[in-house]
Amino acid sequence: MQVHCRESSVQSSRVSPSPLAHHSLHFGAGAGAGASPICAPAAMISQFFVLSLRGDNIVFRDYRGDVSKSSAEIFFRKVKFWKGEEGEEAPPVFNVDGVNYLHVKHSGLLFVATTRVNPSPALVLELLQRIARVTKDYLGVLNEDSLRKNFVLVYELLDEMIDFGYPQTTSTEGLKSFVFNEPVVVDAARIPSLGPAAMFVQGSKRVPGTAVTKSVVANDPSGKKREEVFVDIIEKISVTFNASGYVLTSEIDGTIQMKSYLTGSPEIKVGLNEDLTVGVRSSAPRDFVPDYSSGNSVGLVVLDDCNFHESVRLDDFETERALTLVPPDGEFPIMNYRMTQEFKPPFKVYPVIEEKGPFKAEVRLKVRADFASNITANMVILRVPMPKTTTRVSFALEEGAVGQTTDFKESTKVVEWCCRKIVGGSDHVLTAKLTLSQERNVNIKKEAGPISMTFTIPMYNASKLQVKYLQIVKKTKSYNPHRWVRYVTQANSYVIRT
Amino acid sequence: MNADSRKGELADLKAQLRQLAGSRQPGVEDIKRELYKKVISYMTIGIDVSSLFSEMVMCSATSDLVLKKMCYLYVGNYARGHPDLALLTINFLQKDCHDDDPMIRGLALRSLCSLRVKNLVEYLIGPLRSGLKDANGYVRTVAAMGVLKLYHIAPSQCTDNEFPAMLRALLLNDPDAQVVANCLCALQEIYTAEVNVSPETAARDREHLLSKPVIYSLLNRIKDFTEWAQCLVLDMVSKYVPSDSDESFDMMNILEDRLQHTNSAVVLAAIKVFLHLTISMADIHQQVYERIKAPLLTLVNSGSAEQTYAVLSHLHLLVLRAPVLFSNDYKHFYCRYSDPTYVKKLKLEMLTAVANETNTYEIVTELSEYAANVDVAIARESIRAVGKIALQQYDVNAIVDRLLQFLEMEKDYVTAETLVLVKDLLRKYPQWSHDCIAVVGSVSSKTVTEPKAKSALVWMLGEYAYDMPDAPYILEGFIENWIEEDSAQVRLELLTAVTKIFFKRPPESIKMLGAALSAGLADAHQVNWIHSSMEWVNRYLFLL
Repeated sequence: MQVHCRESSVQSSRVSPSPLAHHSLHFGAGAGAGASPICAPAAMISQFFVLSLRGDNIVFRDYRGDVSKSSAEIFFRKVKFWKGEEGEEAPPVFNVDGVNYLHVKHSGLLFVATTRVNPSPALVLELLQRIARVTKDYLGVLNEDSLRKNFVLVYELLDEMIDFGYPQTTSTEGLKSFVFNEPVVVDAARIPSLGPAAMFVQGSKRVPGTAVTKSVVANDPSGKKREEVFVDIIEKISVTFNASGYVLTSEIDGTIQMKSYLTGSPEIKVGLNEDLTVGVRSSAPRDFVPDYSSGNSVGLVVLDDCNFHESVRLDDFETERALTLVPPDGEFPIMNYRMTQEFKPPFKVYPVIEEKGPFKAEVRLKVRADFASNITANMVILRVPMPKTTTRVSFALEEGAVGQTTDFKESTKVVEWCCRKIVGGSDHVLTAKLTLSQERNVNIKKEAGPISMTFTIPMYNASKLQVKYLQIVKKTKSYNPHRWVRYVTQANSYVIRT
Repeated sequence: MNADSRKGELADLKAQLRQLAGSRQPGVEDIKRELYKKVISYMTIGIDVSSLFSEMVMCSATSDLVLKKMCYLYVGNYARGHPDLALLTINFLQKDCHDDDPMIRGLALRSLCSLRVKNLVEYLIGPLRSGLKDANGYVRTVAAMGVLKLYHIAPSQCTDNEFPAMLRALLLNDPDAQVVANCLCALQEIYTAEVNVSPETAARDREHLLSKPVIYSLLNRIKDFTEWAQCLVLDMVSKYVPSDSDESFDMMNILEDRLQHTNSAVVLAAIKVFLHLTISMADIHQQVYERIKAPLLTLVNSGSAEQTYAVLSHLHLLVLRAPVLFSNDYKHFYCRYSDPTYVKKLKLEMLTAVANETNTYEIVTELSEYAANVDVAIARESIRAVGKIALQQYDVNAIVDRLLQFLEMEKDYVTAETLVLVKDLLRKYPQWSHDCIAVVGSVSSKTVTEPKAKSALVWMLGEYAYDMPDAPYILEGFIENWIEEDSAQVRLELLTAVTKIFFKRPPESIKMLGAALSAGLADAHQVNWIHSSMEWVNRYLFLL
């Protein structure tokens, strides 16, 4: 927490201990604190508030009354005018005049906690994240509008989630009996099409309903509750290619997420690939030496590591690779995993950057979609920083290009190429002709790039981890709830160096 | 909304509420709800609506739960500032504390304890005592926290009424895990504060809290607790000192599966326990590190950027303790395109910390890529990181080449950062001067504007005047611009450099020395210490 110490001491007029220091992993941390043997407990926040990105107070709850009411203003000013070079963002934890401010950004809102003690930062940040998630579960859609329309309901939730600054219950299910306000549902159609609901849209086929944006307590207009459960396998991939097109690093961070609208809490069994191996796992609890040998076995999917939600029972995990759980209400991750095993990157990019005379250069980008032709990637965007001296760019798209747009941002000198859809197996080419204001004196290749890429590929997952079956214990013979298993792969950091 | 219309609006609300207070018409609750909502929304945006206090209280004689809860919220917000008005609420809150519905009992008790008004404390003792004995877990949960609230208003009344002792009994025996968790929070806070009042009792109580039976009763039901309460328990367990290593192993076995939790706070708290339990068992440190490594790396990327930041901060501390631990996993700390600056900065620190002889080449190659990055802040930090690694390592050969390549990139900020580093490197490894100086000499002095970089360049010009044919002439350029030079640091450095160069190459620099000295002395707004060193130089030169 060195970083933080330095920042906070510069920041605050009164040098106060770093908020992260208390929970440091230092062996000495506890032993050294001999003077006050019982430190204040691990989590205790003074205030919680939600600000819009313009700094408006949407929700404000004071739990302990030991921090000034103007904290929201102090916080916002600090975040907005965060010192430092060139557009740096404020870190999630900082200290001003003895008050620790912890915040997370969620759905275009700032969720903030203040405290005078040294809590575990991970705990407070997780808590803020959870408050956001539970609120979303109840409101269906989380944004400024829905919060403003439902602030009384939000206060009801906050009252039960935190008492005197200590987290109480944060389970969507457990909170149900304490919420009496009906949510005012904000029109889901107003969510931008890139929102989470649209993530799974594959071509024109659409998962029925607005399931992911529906409140856990709101009644369906039809009066009938639809029995359904969603299991989403969401993978974020990070790949870096070097200038010769070889993969330098690659990693998959995956989550199996569940959202259940089943009544009567039935038990669900989620079956994964039978040949799944988890690389680092010590089988004998007393033996702390990790067992790497299994990592080299022939298994198709080898995870480096994974973790599980509290409700998941692993009785059948070792033998059948199945997770058993009684899903609580709301959306939650049943399993997170990480994989560094090699996989086939979905896109290959071949850039060619050439000089074309003293004031001219040409950048040619070729993108190849390296996946099956029945799969379509959405919103594929490539961004290429151009030399600083670039004044004008003219684009040439391939013949018959559909749904492709190009843009050159004068201020940042970045070329953006957006393809709304790319079908598996296809190639696309963009040629950009640059006009430079100065004669170049260094290698143009060094000034352009690296290329970064974002995309979403529904019904595709790079790791090949699969949900093979989804068994729901039947209550009656006719009980047959809808089951949705959806896959999606997104680019987290997809960088092609030039 | 301007002040006048707001006043009007409040008066209007007041009148409407007063009218509804006694009304028993059907549908009146709905109208009340709307009015209450308006009041609460004003309160949220910071408008003072405390003038409605008595009307709000009058209207809250209702069975409508939504209304009740809004009223509790309102009362809790204003009672502290208006103790006289708060007295009005005692009556109905006390009545609600005896309601048949446990939820109403709990809500009322919580509001009663949250009034934070000292002279109302006497009304709190009774409901609190019965709350702790309530058959319903929710009410006991609220009551346990209520004891802590009472302690904050009136510590002596809390301890005199034996509330801490009641909490201690619940801590061991209550079937509801959340009650236990709240007792734990309350007791920890109370005992911490009591240290100043009666140190001996507090020390004994604290010992009791950290005793084997208490710790084990908590550990054995760890899975009953919510994830937040688990963190609390784990935090306390980390302060417990086991009697022998077998006990340590037993405890770690109980907690082993906590390392696989999706909540990073739980995992980190468990790791803290592991580290504390094995603090004096040096022989298994390495094994513990290996065990906690994979879960930590998983957490780095499984949550939001903010969580990544928190986890990386912990990793950074760990890596400072055991740098070898991650020396093969350094690729995990490569920056990602999507990382926010604060995460990237931490990752750069991690890369600097894990660099060793085997991975330096790879890491420096990666850092060099960032130096060319569009993100200027990160580019700067990356260059500094390269410099730090260079200063750590024995074999700086490749690194020096990289730094020199930076200078060839001809980006102002890259050049600036690099000059500072080359200077530092030369001070530690003078043997590299030959390679560096040739490149430094070719840097166009006009592109160097930052004071730190300028000073570095000037220092090198003075120090290596023999190796750089152009040195006196570049310095001359700087002297000519003395007036425009704002930085005292640069001026001082110039003065030193000119003096040094005079001894090395007098014919070429005698004129410049004179110019520098007179420019410096003539300078009106110079800082004192420049002045004094100027005079010192002057005198020294006269002696020659």
